[in-house]
Amino acid sequence: MSRGLARVVDEHRVIVSAGSGGVGKTTTAATIGLYGAQRGRRAVVLTIDPARRLADALGIGEIRGGEESRVEGDFAGSLTVMMLDQKSAWDALVRRHAPSAEVRDRVLGNRFYQHLSETFAGSQEYMALEQLCELHAGGRFDLIVVDTPPTRHALDFLEAPRRLADFLDRQVIKWFVKPYFAAGWSAMQVMNRTARFLLQRLEDATGISVLVEVSDFFNSMSGLFDGFQERVQRTYQLLQAKETAFVLVASPEEQVLSEAEYFCRKMGELRMPLRAVVFNRAHFECGAELTRADGERLVRGLVEAAEAERLLANFERYEVLAGGDAVRMEDFRSRLPRRVVTAEVPNFDSDLHDIDGLRRMHPFLFP
Amino acid sequence: MSLDSLFSRRLLFVVGKGGVGKTTVASALALEVARRGARTLLVEVDGVGRAAQLFGVPLRPAGELAPVAPSLFLMNVEGSAALAEYLMMTVPVKRVLQGVLNSRIYQYFVAAAPGLKELMTIGKIWFEADRSDEATGRRAWDFVIVDSPATGHSLQYLSMPQAAFDTFTTGLVHREASRIVELLQDPDRTGIVLVATAEEMPVNETLEMNRRLRRDLRLPPALLVVNRVHQPSVRASDADALAGALTRGGAPRSEAERVFLGDVLRAAREESGWIAINSRYLEKLRAGVSLPTVVLPFLFSEEFGLAQIRQLSGLLVATPAPGGNRKPRRKGAS
Repeated sequence: MSRGLARVVDEHRVIVSAGSGGVGKTTTAATIGLYGAQRGRRAVVLTIDPARRLADALGIGEIRGGEESRVEGDFAGSLTVMMLDQKSAWDALVRRHAPSAEVRDRVLGNRFYQHLSETFAGSQEYMALEQLCELHAGGRFDLIVVDTPPTRHALDFLEAPRRLADFLDRQVIKWFVKPYFAAGWSAMQVMNRTARFLLQRLEDATGISVLVEVSDFFNSMSGLFDGFQERVQRTYQLLQAKETAFVLVASPEEQVLSEAEYFCRKMGELRMPLRAVVFNRAHFECGAELTRADGERLVRGLVEAAEAERLLANFERYEVLAGGDAVRMEDFRSRLPRRVVTAEVPNFDSDLHDIDGLRRMHPFLFP
Repeated sequence: MSLDSLFSRRLLFVVGKGGVGKTTVASALALEVARRGARTLLVEVDGVGRAAQLFGVPLRPAGELAPVAPSLFLMNVEGSAALAEYLMMTVPVKRVLQGVLNSRIYQYFVAAAPGLKELMTIGKIWFEADRSDEATGRRAWDFVIVDSPATGHSLQYLSMPQAAFDTFTTGLVHREASRIVELLQDPDRTGIVLVATAEEMPVNETLEMNRRLRRDLRLPPALLVVNRVHQPSVRASDADALAGALTRGGAPRSEAERVFLGDVLRAAREESGWIAINSRYLEKLRAGVSLPTVVLPFLFSEEFGLAQIRQLSGLLVATPAPGGNRKPRRKGAS
């Protein structure tokens, strides 16, 4: 009978690795995928982070956005890594839905579309969810690990798709397929003159005819965004489902943990299933029941005096770090719901961007 | 001293990869110039309130000033709010304007227009950097320091005024954009502070950022800050010596002794590992970025808060310019 994080992974089909940027989400997601493959599952890790060394380390070389690659290894199951690239994911969506080659090219060249697919806040997160749903429906994999996009704030992943859905709301799109929108502000009788003037001036400031381009985009792609709200709704349902587990990755630093705490609270409100928290890059206090004086005498007896001084001074500094980490982790843990399991991964003596890193992390996640 | 050329400017953008300590460095710089008596504005862009948290003040709505230390103020700048403020200033009929701002089509427009929010963000920062105090007629701020968003997004907004300038050849937008571009590209007034940690991914991203700033954006990088650098202390050979002594055996040891020695060894390995990584990537950074460089040490403190920022703030100015770097453009007083 497995315990802790192992049990969480064993009992769920979808694992979402979430957290603020730079805490080790990608490495955690890859380690979970590797564990699944070793347990005989057909695992896929969906990643966005351009961590090239991770791809190299897994022996899958240069895979580009939108591509997938099977990781070679002696697994009972299998491991596939998929790189998500929001731009190519949007392009694929357009190609799939465009009624003709001419419309397709017009949309791909449309500046509003380029803005939407490249930089619109939320579109990367939405595409990750879209990809997740497709993988989930496809049935090729029985363990799907999602490495969430590198956002500044962990919560963006949960909120962004809803923002996009509001933006692409059918009611709004209805305006834009009306003929006067295609003609720009000057033709809009629904607004008073001041408003028209103002919006025209704003439009000048951005350098493109927003109205015309938006209108052209929606006219060309009518149908694509029908039921968009419902689709986003369905992806949220998958995130809330029993077969899904969120793993929150955090380092034991003040700012990261205060964001993580906010994330946990928000997940509760959204009824998202937080199942595990991974504290990455933690330092641990020495638990030895030994007086400091005895310990120091011991070290001095083993190595030369100068070596002993450096070793002991360093040990003291690490104890200070560990003391802070311990307090913060304990405090954080005490406020988690009881069924949320935790795992602690030490700060190693190298940065974990390679297969060796995954191997070193493994025993701490799956003891 | 390397920082005098930095402090002779008045608009500083602190940029770097997520998680390297941009907020830390921006806050430390702001504290230092404010301590010297300069009226200083620290700007967070689309902030989640990190700087506010650090200074222990609540996050205010975008565009509002929060006093955080003597002569130091904090402001969160956000594109949509900056646009509304701009319109309020330029449009005479406020009542009509409020109606427009509240309308769904306006809000939709702001979200849909490519680059508009970025342009307004940088426009607001420029406005603050250039603004005069109505009472005294002096410039409102001696210093504006911007805690920028992560690299990709920084480049997006830093490039917007040039894009607007290139798009329009005449008119109001052209005039305003050209004034912003002029300030941004002026190395006497504006400086970009690159922040990195000496590790693989942040270093690669910094080298790329430096290239793009110079080549594509023609903006003046002014200083490289390498944060959280583990300083030479314990050596790999110390760890090896201890490990060797442990394998040779000797007197039988208690469980407590074994645990203690194991932890001393582990801490030594971890630290010497990071010292080696940091020194390797610091080398790479120095080879690739010819800028005055400040190295901030990793702090072994129980917690990281304002006290630690103050400590780093002191170190920022205490660090002499390392050899091999470009000469500072201006001679300092000291």
